[in-house]
Amino acid sequence: MLYYLVKRPPLDAAGKSVMLLGLGVLPIMVAMIGNLEGFAATERQGFCGSCHTMDMWIEDANDPSSKSLAAIHSRTHKFGGSSCYVCHKDYGMFGYVMTKLGGMGHVYKFVSEWMWYDRDEVIEKIHIARPFKNQNCMQCHSTTGKIWNEVADHNGLLDDLRTDQTSCAGAGCHGYAHPFSKPDEETPSHAEAHSALQGPAPEGR
Amino acid sequence: MNPRARIEKFLDTASRSRLMVYACVLGLISLALMSWSLFDQGWIPIMMAMSVGQGIGTLSFALFLVIVIIDLRQAEFRPSIPPESKKSEHH
Repeated sequence: MLYYLVKRPPLDAAGKSVMLLGLGVLPIMVAMIGNLEGFAATERQGFCGSCHTMDMWIEDANDPSSKSLAAIHSRTHKFGGSSCYVCHKDYGMFGYVMTKLGGMGHVYKFVSEWMWYDRDEVIEKIHIARPFKNQNCMQCHSTTGKIWNEVADHNGLLDDLRTDQTSCAGAGCHGYAHPFSKPDEETPSHAEAHSALQGPAPEGR
Repeated sequence: MNPRARIEKFLDTASRSRLMVYACVLGLISLALMSWSLFDQGWIPIMMAMSVGQGIGTLSFALFLVIVIIDLRQAEFRPSIPPESKKSEHH
């Protein structure tokens, strides 16, 4: 293409064949590779964190001393650099498409509103678009394991947990995934959150 | 002038070399946008590559196809089977 712009060779059959490579084959290959790499990139933390509004969420998830659910999960290999996507993606039949559509919604909200917020406003105004589904937790914690079911609260709330009537990441259970973003009165301490998950105290204790 | 006549007039009068210049410029812009997303994976480069970049690239390739169509309209096709000679007609 550059050669044509500089030298202007005649547009005969040979010239057009070369231009077909430059204008057709090469851009299509670059687009295909770009699509593959682009879609893969949208699953990484770096992509989610490229909007400044997500800075604090990424910082917390990557904080080795943080005890939030997000940080605990981000430290595992399974989640790692893709922890935002693994927890927040839609696991339904059309999950990939729905996740991408949701992401487009986030881009629209960012461009139209959120990009003007500073850190303090972000904490106050940004919230999850719809309640977090327990189904996402259940991709790993299947709710069928023996050890899991031996926890009294799990066992007692099994139906509620499977139907999202009670959230795994609620204040009374495992606590919010990103507790720093919640008002203090809504955020139980780590010890409080986990005390609810202990088995029933032995009688006489 | 109806749209079909307008298109035919455009195909008869358009400059192929000028169209090719436009196609090349657009093609280079689209390649730059699509390549950018491979090196910088923030939301702006990726969104630009997968929307604007591919749109411009498609437009560039469409201009190239227009050039091919113009060439085909102006080409004189020779029949692949030569006409029978007068000598054979006598037989």
